[in-house]
Amino acid sequence: MTKQLLLVDDEDGLRRVLSIALQDIGYEVTTASSAEEALRRFDEQRPGIVLSDVKMPGMDGLELLKRIKEQKPETEVIMITGHGDMHLAIASLKLDATDFITKPINHDALEVALKRAEDRMAMRRQLREHTENLERLVEEKSARLLQAERRLATRQVLEGLTEAMGQLTTDMDAGETIFNELPCFVSVHNAYLEIIATNQHYRDRLGDFVGANSWDAYCDRKPDDEECPVGKTFRTGRGQRSREILTGLDGSEIPVIVHTAPIKGAGEDADVELVLEISVDVQEVNRLQEELRQSRERYRHLFNAVPCYITVQDRQFRLVEANHGFQRDFGGEPGQLCHGVFKGRQSPCRNCPVEKTFTDGQSHESEEVVTTLSGDQVNVLVQTAPILDAKGRVEQVMELSTDITQIRQLQDHLTNLGLLLGTVSHGVKGLLTALDGGIYRVDSGFRRGNEKQVQAGWKVVRQMVGRIRSMVLDILYYAKKRDLRWERVDALEFANQVADIAETKAREHSIEFRRDFARDLGEFEVDPGIVSSALVNLLENAVDACLMDRQKKEHRIRFGLSTRGRAVLFDVEDNGMGMDKETRNKLFTLFFSSKGDRGTGLGLFMSNQIVEQHGGRIDVDTEPGRGTRFTVLLPRVLPDAAKCATNESAAASEQPSPTCGQKC
Amino acid sequence: MSKKIMVVDDDQNIVDYLVTLFEDNGYETCSASDGVEALVVMKDELPDLVTLDLEMPDEWGPRFYRKFNQDPELADTPVIVISGLSGIHLAIRKAVATVSKPFDPDQVIQIVQETIGG
Repeated sequence: MTKQLLLVDDEDGLRRVLSIALQDIGYEVTTASSAEEALRRFDEQRPGIVLSDVKMPGMDGLELLKRIKEQKPETEVIMITGHGDMHLAIASLKLDATDFITKPINHDALEVALKRAEDRMAMRRQLREHTENLERLVEEKSARLLQAERRLATRQVLEGLTEAMGQLTTDMDAGETIFNELPCFVSVHNAYLEIIATNQHYRDRLGDFVGANSWDAYCDRKPDDEECPVGKTFRTGRGQRSREILTGLDGSEIPVIVHTAPIKGAGEDADVELVLEISVDVQEVNRLQEELRQSRERYRHLFNAVPCYITVQDRQFRLVEANHGFQRDFGGEPGQLCHGVFKGRQSPCRNCPVEKTFTDGQSHESEEVVTTLSGDQVNVLVQTAPILDAKGRVEQVMELSTDITQIRQLQDHLTNLGLLLGTVSHGVKGLLTALDGGIYRVDSGFRRGNEKQVQAGWKVVRQMVGRIRSMVLDILYYAKKRDLRWERVDALEFANQVADIAETKAREHSIEFRRDFARDLGEFEVDPGIVSSALVNLLENAVDACLMDRQKKEHRIRFGLSTRGRAVLFDVEDNGMGMDKETRNKLFTLFFSSKGDRGTGLGLFMSNQIVEQHGGRIDVDTEPGRGTRFTVLLPRVLPDAAKCATNESAAASEQPSPTCGQKC
Repeated sequence: MSKKIMVVDDDQNIVDYLVTLFEDNGYETCSASDGVEALVVMKDELPDLVTLDLEMPDEWGPRFYRKFNQDPELADTPVIVISGLSGIHLAIRKAVATVSKPFDPDQVIQIVQETIGG
């Protein structure tokens, strides 16, 4: 370091010699030849040491000393006095000169004086530094103290909060310490984005992060990431919520949901001073959620993919859920009633299996006929299962309905075949007996040599074999359909014949029977035997419907005949008991009877088949308590499909074969 | 003098069968194809035994049975029911036997012989 020195002397030679000597020992020397010049130089240079002669023309050395000390007291001023000028030397010391040396200048004395000056300067510098240090130190120490106090307070709040939350959750559900299973990492951050406090769980799982940066605990946050949740909270002044991943002490990743809350200073517009961060470990929750989602997905898939109708119902039989199959075939929005959607009923079904399951908690079964959106009737096998709540009570019932229409149709078919066999069996017995008779007469004729008897017997045998053959063919061909033995019949005459048969029964029970026949309808193509059976069956049903109705005193049946387009229309109308929609839907199924023990359930099924075989159809219009109207539409000219089989059949059988139709 | 048997059945083939059977076994025969005709024939022929089918047009077996039993001359004529209907043994309780179709001719002859002799 260069030491600056101002040398002041009016003697040119001394000034020159002395400045060389001073430069030799390391000073940067500025010279002045008078006190006035020296003051100017001092102003410019501000040297630490001034070496000045006392006696000078103009302003003398003492005056210079005084001025310099006024300007800068710490300047070291060494005075040069003549030998014997002791009083001047003393005067200069009084004016706070550092030292004095006498002329002629002794080199050693100069160095000692300079040394003393420098020591004083160093001392003064040290003292100044010490003072400054001390002040800074005090400032620092007190700031640290303040922060420590704050931290302590924060930690206490934090632990208190955690404990309170823990107790709260424990209190809320005794035994279920959710807080332990869903642990929270709680930390407090200051505005420098430093963590200043953490809770015990934080320390146990993540380590000691106090003093670290706010983002340091996150595994995927980069250094200086001020967009971390805490940083955002400070920036926006609002609490944040996000998903983050923390790094555990063992290096594992801990997915968390982070909540932050700003803590502001006093006053309305105060800045955010601290941020409270609470992170909830969602690892387990995530895993469980994923597992739940997957199994739900699987169940949902199963629920929709099974070839069954599945619904979940509440105690009021309201649909809570319905699978795709059910929605596709029956509609049914959540909240709609099962019996309404499935059967079009106003009130719950009798012997409802769902109701039974609600009552006893067991599974139940039933068989139902339901109607799809497109109007098809479907036989379903219904099974129920209880859905229990946490306390084991039946909360909902699941109903699983399997479409067994095809099985039912097959069963119906087999039953029909059985019926057919039953009906023909009487005839078969007669046939077999006659066959036996023929054979006997052939045998007997041979024994007696009675050729005539042999021939008569043989004729019977052939005849009977022919009939048996045609009957067997009938049964075999039942699988297709019984062929129509159609002819052209006068419609009015036909209607009257049917009415004659049915009217007797109505009259017996004092039921008014009215024929409402249009004239001049001409002929139509029909198998009169079976169609009359079907119509008589409808008329007798009408009588029964009247008899079962106890509300009205007078009953009547109207039997109508008219045309509709290219068809002949018969209608049977009664004011009997009528039918609800469910009964109406089941009407044409085999063995369904609304008459309890008195009905066989056969009649309408057969009637419908007969009419369908003619290419016609039966419609029903009914209302409970009001009555029923059946309309039978039969085409005037039979479709070719219904006709053509007839000829084959006629060729196959010599005589009319027994039919089930006529027995209906 | 041989005994006479009346065969009542609406199926001519069966009438022919039974008539041949009985004649082969030495009985005289007469026949009718329904209840109304049977009553007329019975009064004319006064048979010793009647074989009766149950299901016939116009008038079925049981009604014919009741009618002829009200006639003192004909009452108590033994009846063998020969029918294809099930439950036939209940239709005419006093019948000496009920035989269901198709029948065993030897069995019928045996019953006849036991009832009116050979």
